[in-house]
Amino acid sequence: MPDFTQTNELIAKANEFAAFETKQKHTWCNGCGDYGILSGLTRALVLEEITPDKVMLCYDVGCNGNASDKIGGYTIHGLHGRVTALAAGIKLGNPKLEVIASAGDGATFSEGINHLIHAVRCDYPITFIVHNNNNYGLTIGQASSTTKQHYAMNGSPDGPIGDTLNTLQLVLSLNPSFVARSFSGDVEHITKMIRAGINHPGFSYIEIMQACPTFNKNTPQEWYWDKIRYIENIPEYDPTDIWKVRKYVDNLDTELVIGVLYQNIKPHFVERLENRKEIKTSPSEEVFHHDISELMQDFM
Amino acid sequence: MQRTVVKISGENGMGLSSVGEIIQKSLQKLGFYIHSEREFPSTIKGGKACNNINISDEPIYGLSETIDICIGLDREGVKDGLNTLKQGGILIHGFERWNKIIKDLPTIVAEKELKVFLIPARDIALENGGSLIMVNTVLVGFLWKVLNLDLGVLKDKITQQFRKKPTLIDVNIACLEAGYRYTTPEYNETFQPINLQPKPNQENTLLIDGNTALALGALQGGMRNYVAYPMSPSTSILVYLAETSHKTGISIKQAEDEITAVQIALGAMHAGSRALVSTSGGGYDLMTETVSLAAMIETPLVVVNVQRPGPATGLPTWTAQGDVNLAIHSSHGEFARVVISCSDPRDAYTNIQHAFNIADVYQVPVIFLTEATIGMSQTTVPIFEQNTIPIERGLVSESELVDLKSEYRYEITDTGISRRWLPTTSPATYFANGDEHWTSGELTEDADKSHTMLAKRLRKMETILAELPDPEIFGVKSGADISFVGFGSSKNAIEDIIHLYKKQGISVNYLHYTYLWPLKTSRFIEFCANNAFVFGVEGNATGQFITMLEEKSGVKCKAKLLKWDGRPFYIEDMEGLIQLNLKK
Repeated sequence: MPDFTQTNELIAKANEFAAFETKQKHTWCNGCGDYGILSGLTRALVLEEITPDKVMLCYDVGCNGNASDKIGGYTIHGLHGRVTALAAGIKLGNPKLEVIASAGDGATFSEGINHLIHAVRCDYPITFIVHNNNNYGLTIGQASSTTKQHYAMNGSPDGPIGDTLNTLQLVLSLNPSFVARSFSGDVEHITKMIRAGINHPGFSYIEIMQACPTFNKNTPQEWYWDKIRYIENIPEYDPTDIWKVRKYVDNLDTELVIGVLYQNIKPHFVERLENRKEIKTSPSEEVFHHDISELMQDFM
Repeated sequence: MQRTVVKISGENGMGLSSVGEIIQKSLQKLGFYIHSEREFPSTIKGGKACNNINISDEPIYGLSETIDICIGLDREGVKDGLNTLKQGGILIHGFERWNKIIKDLPTIVAEKELKVFLIPARDIALENGGSLIMVNTVLVGFLWKVLNLDLGVLKDKITQQFRKKPTLIDVNIACLEAGYRYTTPEYNETFQPINLQPKPNQENTLLIDGNTALALGALQGGMRNYVAYPMSPSTSILVYLAETSHKTGISIKQAEDEITAVQIALGAMHAGSRALVSTSGGGYDLMTETVSLAAMIETPLVVVNVQRPGPATGLPTWTAQGDVNLAIHSSHGEFARVVISCSDPRDAYTNIQHAFNIADVYQVPVIFLTEATIGMSQTTVPIFEQNTIPIERGLVSESELVDLKSEYRYEITDTGISRRWLPTTSPATYFANGDEHWTSGELTEDADKSHTMLAKRLRKMETILAELPDPEIFGVKSGADISFVGFGSSKNAIEDIIHLYKKQGISVNYLHYTYLWPLKTSRFIEFCANNAFVFGVEGNATGQFITMLEEKSGVKCKAKLLKWDGRPFYIEDMEGLIQLNLKK
């Protein structure tokens, strides 16, 4: 029996939902997973009672980045691969902002993989949504590090030569505080995952497996549905045991578990700043002349 | 003006910098003006290093390489002293086997008429319970006698320096006193100590380097986020701001690379903080894509480049003015930017505050060019004034926030500047879009809109150009015997030269550029019309700035004085050029 709690809540918040609508035309292909993710993100914001003027939505470059003006809100559409660094900067400038960043698999696992590693280990208090469609869509279908081997792609006719990256193994190896996985075909589930991510105090890593009907014909919707398994249906699943979680995500071809796969709440980056523990304001509220008389004493 | 140059020379890692610091701080306490430079290789231990301390009874900003006294800490230091001491200079050292090791020793000493004081510093240090490194302290004690100065101040500074290692205080003071008491056959009635005349009670001065001054200026101007990746010669900004962060409360992040550093800075600026990011040329290279993004989304950004010689890693710990073209032309696409420079701790402190104001008001990237010699040299400067440079954010007022519309954010205006407000402060949201966009930031590929929006952003160049201050003239306004034009640290040697030559009845003047881009040329054209012999001076091999100035103004300098060996301009460089041209 499907759970309609969120849907019923949304019906009562139709106006709040509409506030996220923009006049911009969508430029994604028919059947693109980005529609589902955009819908899930909007629903999550509405259900968490975050209005468009109270959120900073950060987008990387790629098909996902073209959502940057398709959703109402303060958005920023930055450079390829750099969105976690940019979003971290926004959060550090004003930790009171709700900051949500989105990027594709090309940005996250190739161009800016260093930023992912450091964002996880720093546990910046932001939500990060990876749109993983296993290829570079906007540049018309090149292989990414998550493309399956032996599948011919634009620019690699014999399929990608490097091994396929297991993204969750990578992230779980970094001692993350929050890891969730979802699927673009299940908006209800995406909504839940993003809501859980928003409510997680530290760095919320949310990977959404995404169909790309135009350039990745090898893994259509059905391919995912055949393999998806909800962790709610695995009674013994323990999201606090990292080594067991790593076993569940090890095989990319047979079973794809989805849900909040791992959570370990710890003090996040802003809370770890020893010198700001007593300071209640945000740096953005502190831009005025600061007295340097005491500091000058050292040079007199 | 009296100028005495003391050089401490030895191998890197010999405790040279702490000795130099004690000497300088004591001299400052006694009321002297100092300008000192540290030369050291990019190593942890080994390689030639020195501290060149220029001492005067009047403010000085330039360096002289005419060494009066050299303390040779070891064999390398003694050799360096023999090479660089002036005629009749004084060498103080403790290298007992020196006459066996150094070839042609008596000839060099005789030819240069050097006074050499060989102090058995090692024995003295050990006799007084010290270790081998305290050879330095013994030699400083003897130096103090040669300078005929009060030992009390030096003892106070040693006590202060070692306050965290109190066991070392007494033994260091014992070594110092023993060195001071020691006398050699050469130190007799025929030897005249150098009689430095301090001006006591210089309470309102700071002895500070340009990197620290820049950090203080940023703090004064409301910088609340600092982010960097370590790179010589900018690293001391990171270290200073981190060491003082418990006092200042600023949010600090040492990033995983320069791309991250500048992205975090841009993000923090977007959120409304003032963020500073500093690096050197190679690190700046990595930041350039973000500079382009900042220009596109019209979010303020300030990037400090403490220049060192390139290409590639070049000379990591030495100085240059070689990134002018980089600062002006870096990043893809066409957009407005400001390149601002500084010359010494005074304007490092003020100009970084101007840089933030310009970035905020015009919503452009500002590239702040400083140099290793500015960042690392210590200078006596007047205490920094506070609250004199207003903080200008260029944001809409609080009352306007309610009635804003999204399309105001990138509205087409005559000045190129549109209204800006911070995320979440108004119901009117906007898209900060790195893709070409229309007035609320929504993506567009429409030809007319693309044309109009890029032109709007570029119009800021004219707006900024009209509002920037003109370059400044030092010395007489017109009719000088010799004139210079340049930017950055070049000013320091020239400023000293102007005073020096004035006393000889020769007039030297200098046109100093602080704002390198956009470039104002009218003052330069006027300067060349009013002065017959204008020389361009610049610390790089191709004369990047002067060439651009000549091209933009259509006026040529008589010649260019260029230097690209990693060293700053010394007053002797300027003197050489002046002497040569006065003879003509």
